[in-house]
Amino acid sequence: MIDRNCQKYEDNELVALSITEGQYFLCLMKRYEEKLVNYIRRFTYLENDDIEDIVQDSFINAYLHLNDCDCRLKFSSWLYRIVHNQAVNFMKKHKQSMRVNIDGNDDEFVDWLRADTDIEKETIDKHFSEYIKTILEKLKPEYKEVLVLKLFEEKDYQEISDILQKPMGTVATLLSRAKIQFRKIYEKENKS
Amino acid sequence: MGLIAKNQIKPIPKWEFEFTRWSLWLGLGLSLLVLIIGIGVSWFGLADDIIVPYLWLLVVGAFFGLAYYLFKNTKGAYRFEIWKILGIIGILGLIMGGILFKAGLASRIDRNLEANLPYYRQMVPMKMKVWSNPESGYLSGKIIQITGSNSFIIKDFNNKDWKIDSENSLIRGRVTIKVDEDIKLIGVQTGARSFRAEDIRPWNGMGQNMMKENYQ
Repeated sequence: MIDRNCQKYEDNELVALSITEGQYFLCLMKRYEEKLVNYIRRFTYLENDDIEDIVQDSFINAYLHLNDCDCRLKFSSWLYRIVHNQAVNFMKKHKQSMRVNIDGNDDEFVDWLRADTDIEKETIDKHFSEYIKTILEKLKPEYKEVLVLKLFEEKDYQEISDILQKPMGTVATLLSRAKIQFRKIYEKENKS
Repeated sequence: MGLIAKNQIKPIPKWEFEFTRWSLWLGLGLSLLVLIIGIGVSWFGLADDIIVPYLWLLVVGAFFGLAYYLFKNTKGAYRFEIWKILGIIGILGLIMGGILFKAGLASRIDRNLEANLPYYRQMVPMKMKVWSNPESGYLSGKIIQITGSNSFIIKDFNNKDWKIDSENSLIRGRVTIKVDEDIKLIGVQTGARSFRAEDIRPWNGMGQNMMKENYQ
């Protein structure tokens, strides 16, 4: 019954309903589960089982803290923040590093690369599978996570700021530096 | 959801978050208050050259850090760059501390703490030369003659004699009005060589640096 009603509620309405009637939280879980799994997959090397555990723990954590949800922000930003923390803690515990997991058909990522990096599209297409992933691996972790949120999760600056808990100016700086570092590594790789 | 139902997990009550949030803001408010007082009294110490404000400067540093830490832990603080937070706390402290000093409240706080907080003056000693400033209300010396029930004469450490009116004065600490007693006075200069004492204190008891031998 609740399942069928999910679509008619906004996130913040579901949060309010979940506090009094826990079953409504299922709507939020269904709405975000897949997105969150993909999000974690984008920047970790974790196995599916681990990712599912992280998402499950994040949902429990979110449910426990529903009364602390800052509804001035987007609920999704709040939830992504919890998942982000959970994933980062998991990786620290298991001594794993971040990565950016991309596929060769990601147009937005290719556009981003071309925009400010002076790298020709043909070069990108030609070398995509060879170089791009290698170069991304070499970026600093803080650049990787901001790239994932901007280019793959398609979050705006405000949302990234809320998820990473950094000022918007810092988010913009990180993206800009990520591009510069990407270009430097790319040029170095090409020369060699 | 099954796990939540199975373990009968319930959302943490709102009041717990509210309590934490208000505690944080209260702590921040108190830290800022101490910081402002610290800046005011340090300013008083440095500008008027009356006290040695090292302890207050330490207080300023510690509470500046604490205020920053508490603010960083409030919701939404992440939206501000570090330099903005530090700048706002610093400017607020300087403005309010400056007002405190200019309004004369900083020196009053210093005196109140001396009167009410044991060992305060040992930790925030007055400068030696302060006690040779009758025009600023500070005088010290040795009693050389008792001239009445509320008057006596002292010789200051520059060998000048002063007629002291001690009516309505408050005697603090172990001080006896008798010849050869070394004392410090806080009050008002009433003439070229006369002084009305409001506060009479023993010369010693202020730590090593208040020893008469060190006095210049």
